[in-house]
Amino acid sequence: MAQNTEPSENRGVRPPPDVNPRTDPALDFPDKPLQDMTPGDYQVLGYMSGLEVHQQLDTPSKLFCRCPAGCRVRKVDAEVLRHMRPTLSELGEYDRTALMEFKTKKEIVYLLERGTVCTYEMDDTPPFGMDEVAVRIALEMAEMCNLNLVSELHVMRKQYLDGSIPTGFQRTAMVGLAGSVPFRVPELGVDRELRIRQLSLEEDSCREVSDVGHRITFRTDRLGTPLTEVVTEPELLSPHELQAGACLLAQVSRATGKVRRGPGAARQDVNVSVAGGRRVEIKGVHHHRRLPILVHTEAFRQLNLLRIRAELERRGVQRESLSIPEGGLPWEVTPLVLDVSSLVRHSNFQPARQAVHRGETACAVRLPGFGGLLTHPTQPGVTFAREIADRIRVIACPVHHPFMTHSDLGAESLSSQHWNQLARSLGAHSGDAIVVMWAPREDAATAAREVLIRAEDALVGIPAETRQAFPDGTTGFERILPGPDRMYPDTDTPPLPIPDRMVSEVRARLPEAPWVREARYRRIGLDARAARVLAVAVWADLFDEIVPAEGESARRLAGVLEKRIPFHSRRMRGAKPRLAEELPPATRLAPAVRALEAGEILPEALTRLVDELLENLDRPVEEVLGRYRRRPGDEERLRAALKAAELRAPLVLDGRSPDVKLRWAMGQVAPSFLGKVAPLEAEARLIAALGVGLEASKEVLPVGDSGGSETRAGEVSAEPAREKETLP
Amino acid sequence: MSVAVKDPYQGYRGPCREVMERFGITVWCEVRAKTTQGLFEGLLLPRSETSDELHLVLKLGVGYNIGIRHDTVLELEKIGYREARYQIPEREFPTDPAHPNVKLLGTGGTIASRLDYRTGAVIPAFSPGELYGSVPELAEICNLETEKLFGVFSENMSPEHYLILAEKTGEAIREGYDGVVIGHGTDTMHHTAAALSFMVQNPPVPIIMVGSQRSSDRPSSDAAQNLINATWAAARGPIAEVLVCMFGPTSDLYNLLHRGTRVRKMHSSVRSTFRTLGDIPVAMVEKGKVTPIKDDWRPRRDDREVTVQAAFEEKVTIAYYYPGMQPDVIDAMVEKGYKGIIIAGTGLGHVNRLIYPALARANAAGVHLYMTLQTLWGFVQMQVYETGREILELGVVPLANMLPEVAYIKLGWALGVHPDDPEAVRTLMTTSMAGEMTEREPHDGYLILQGGIPEVQAFLEKVWR
Repeated sequence: MAQNTEPSENRGVRPPPDVNPRTDPALDFPDKPLQDMTPGDYQVLGYMSGLEVHQQLDTPSKLFCRCPAGCRVRKVDAEVLRHMRPTLSELGEYDRTALMEFKTKKEIVYLLERGTVCTYEMDDTPPFGMDEVAVRIALEMAEMCNLNLVSELHVMRKQYLDGSIPTGFQRTAMVGLAGSVPFRVPELGVDRELRIRQLSLEEDSCREVSDVGHRITFRTDRLGTPLTEVVTEPELLSPHELQAGACLLAQVSRATGKVRRGPGAARQDVNVSVAGGRRVEIKGVHHHRRLPILVHTEAFRQLNLLRIRAELERRGVQRESLSIPEGGLPWEVTPLVLDVSSLVRHSNFQPARQAVHRGETACAVRLPGFGGLLTHPTQPGVTFAREIADRIRVIACPVHHPFMTHSDLGAESLSSQHWNQLARSLGAHSGDAIVVMWAPREDAATAAREVLIRAEDALVGIPAETRQAFPDGTTGFERILPGPDRMYPDTDTPPLPIPDRMVSEVRARLPEAPWVREARYRRIGLDARAARVLAVAVWADLFDEIVPAEGESARRLAGVLEKRIPFHSRRMRGAKPRLAEELPPATRLAPAVRALEAGEILPEALTRLVDELLENLDRPVEEVLGRYRRRPGDEERLRAALKAAELRAPLVLDGRSPDVKLRWAMGQVAPSFLGKVAPLEAEARLIAALGVGLEASKEVLPVGDSGGSETRAGEVSAEPAREKETLP
Repeated sequence: MSVAVKDPYQGYRGPCREVMERFGITVWCEVRAKTTQGLFEGLLLPRSETSDELHLVLKLGVGYNIGIRHDTVLELEKIGYREARYQIPEREFPTDPAHPNVKLLGTGGTIASRLDYRTGAVIPAFSPGELYGSVPELAEICNLETEKLFGVFSENMSPEHYLILAEKTGEAIREGYDGVVIGHGTDTMHHTAAALSFMVQNPPVPIIMVGSQRSSDRPSSDAAQNLINATWAAARGPIAEVLVCMFGPTSDLYNLLHRGTRVRKMHSSVRSTFRTLGDIPVAMVEKGKVTPIKDDWRPRRDDREVTVQAAFEEKVTIAYYYPGMQPDVIDAMVEKGYKGIIIAGTGLGHVNRLIYPALARANAAGVHLYMTLQTLWGFVQMQVYETGREILELGVVPLANMLPEVAYIKLGWALGVHPDDPEAVRTLMTTSMAGEMTEREPHDGYLILQGGIPEVQAFLEKVWR
């Protein structure tokens, strides 16, 4: 493979560095669980992370064809079978990921459904023009992130040979570069800018259905859906900062109101490294709350790999001792590998023995100087051996599990006698490790080579990888991390100039950014917490449409919406509201706020009033309101009620404490005067009427509304605490 | 298509060129661009000549290209220089005396290719070394020699190219190659296949035409499979005819060998675009195996005898009939000196009465008139309706189930071979030479499955399409 670059001057344009700027790994730092770590601890580790957020855009059609977007189907009309071959980049180099995928020799099957896929997605028709709606949304998001907009979109092909896109590449275009958004998380002590490296507009890939052996199957309905990818600088310095950053970016995209919601509509890739390590990418994390444990685990995986490297260095293990000539069957070209099928055939270790009986080849690889390191922990419950097993799993594609064992496990698999025999045949010393794996002959050859490649990588430390997230918080090897060499221009699509007119239209209609909104809410009197919550709430527009007056009215309304909208939404739809369309119209609630502002009802009544308005949607607003409005004669009726309570109290509660009497009496009187008489006033007058002592009035009695921060007891229990977590 | 390597402003003209000159920047400079939109850093790439003259193209460090409009540029600062020389890794094509020898003739097209910055397009890469670099499997099939005859896109192939190609094919056969592969763009591959079918007669070895529907610069390309199967069919296949070797289904499964006179490109872009019309394909090729599915093919021979009749009369045309066609269309062709007209008629071979007088005038002027079908499938049968009988009387000769494009090529060739012998031309035209007319159409010679129908649906669920 030719390197086609001329020696260049020292300065120049380079891809962002993949290596952590600090080269001193904190090898002595103890492995600690996430909850025991402080931000200072991560600083010691040299932890840094960045995000790549993929967000589907809510457009009627796909990005490069006019198939409907956002459909999810299970029906299959037809299937096609494809393979992928690596191709050259524009600069004449093969991408290393591409070469790796080629080694896997996968058959790729695409499931097609007539309604959601056309010949474009099947890669049987060139692309149609880029969807303008999507371009506008991408511009809008780029503007919100304060990015420098490009003046012409160039559609590029970003190679993906894993089959997730039938063309073998993703069409993607850079929209904007080098921006930032305000990043304020008081609970983490964060108050700075989050720098955004870039935003690109691209097509979504297929959904994987299965991946067994050499066949991988994909569903194509999602393929081609417009997607923005927002990449941050790697400046998120703890797992919780990372999570907060992800939430912030989600809020930015949601602020446009033009992004898809629901499972898989937004997916995060995370780049992580620690001092002495290098960027590793964890792919496709759907939930923000999973981010901290994943990156925490990855940080310690890197640290452990660096410890393994240090130990290998101490033992004097050299790269050359692990290298193997190109071409040929490994057991024929290097003494490090042996075909041990005949030995395994007679062993008592069932998985290997059965494999050989199936006709597979078993081979043993000697790893000089690796003795004891294969059981070195890398992640919770995971050892270094899994690093090796993962490579075999992904690249040699074994169907049967397990497909590997190793000498550090002792007699758990093969007997000590067999291990000794293997060690003799391989010329292994006590400090060496032996890996035995079994697979069909050709795959076994691939596997043996991969074992040696991964072992060699251990001397480098952290291999550049993308990793998939597992439910237990650990990650597994997915593929070699691709470089910029996998990008080349899409010759099917002409460059698309972005007219100034389009940019100014987008700017004119730019939605209010969450941080701008938050500041506005602070200005009309909301406290910091309420303003933050409201700024990103689905009902923020509803709040704005009602136009509450500054001060108490705004505070009351914000509180009531925050508490009651999710409750009513869940009551009616079984879920929290996600879309503005799921909310009640402003016209239903505004009159209540107007009445409150005019002093026609007292603030304590607002929650109850809103509840009634939303529970009885067919009842006219005025009818509901009327029951809470102050009317002439309220005073007489109050006096009558007080009198009645005064008369009945001795009969009902004879001999009970004044406190109980007062509570009972409030229960008798207050509800009918909600909105008309302030609870404190009602209480004071009852105290006077009943002649109960002052000690009873020290407690605030739970009647009516006290600013949204309290609700009726029954409702509180109906809302479990987890609703506080509004993160998707 | 030669790339002007020395031009420091490749593709840039007008205002962009001015900006580059003003700041002393050429293509391949790494620049820091201060613009009204902010700061951008990247490698200044050549601009496609068909793109506008308003934007500079930068390749960013992350691999993306972006366009910067000239009037947003405040300053360009050179921070480096890095010229890309795009090259397919070239390795010497290994030879094995036990392998058959194959000659690959190149006409252009995208059988193996690389990107051209100037046009933003794909240009072919062709030497055995380049081919070996991108499709190493070829070395297991044959010893390969290549010769680039032209560098034209399929749509620019013309009769003059057919003549050279026919002669070169004959030459390769006489030189002793065990098979000839012709790399060709797909648009007019069936025209060229027909031309070779008539010009290169009775070849002793396979002549296999091949191309690709998805350019070879992409991972999902059909080029490699096509090339591998075509090379196999040429090197080791048993059928010594002019055949087109392209994808059978759209899936990466097998190729079909279509007879050069019965094949047609039937879809603008799908991989399985080439179909045999009015018959079944000659054979399937898959994983080193040619499996004939017809039995009337001409077998490979050991001799090197071949007749090449390379000639073509260019004053031949196809008149695609439509209702309302005016007679002056025919008259104009006659006036312009056309010597032969292939009519693509409706139904069984019909045109409207309005143009009868024009056809009569053409016939009287000695213009050869032949009838073929727009329906593509089926036979011209002009005795069935009165219309047909009337047209026959005007001197229009029916060509059975010869495809219109094939008839055009054949007439051009026949007139080229016999410029002054109308009877000989007529005899050639009405005699099937290379399967261009068949005596019978099998029931599965016409098979366009209609989507959506339950039984077709059931079929599609069972097979990879």
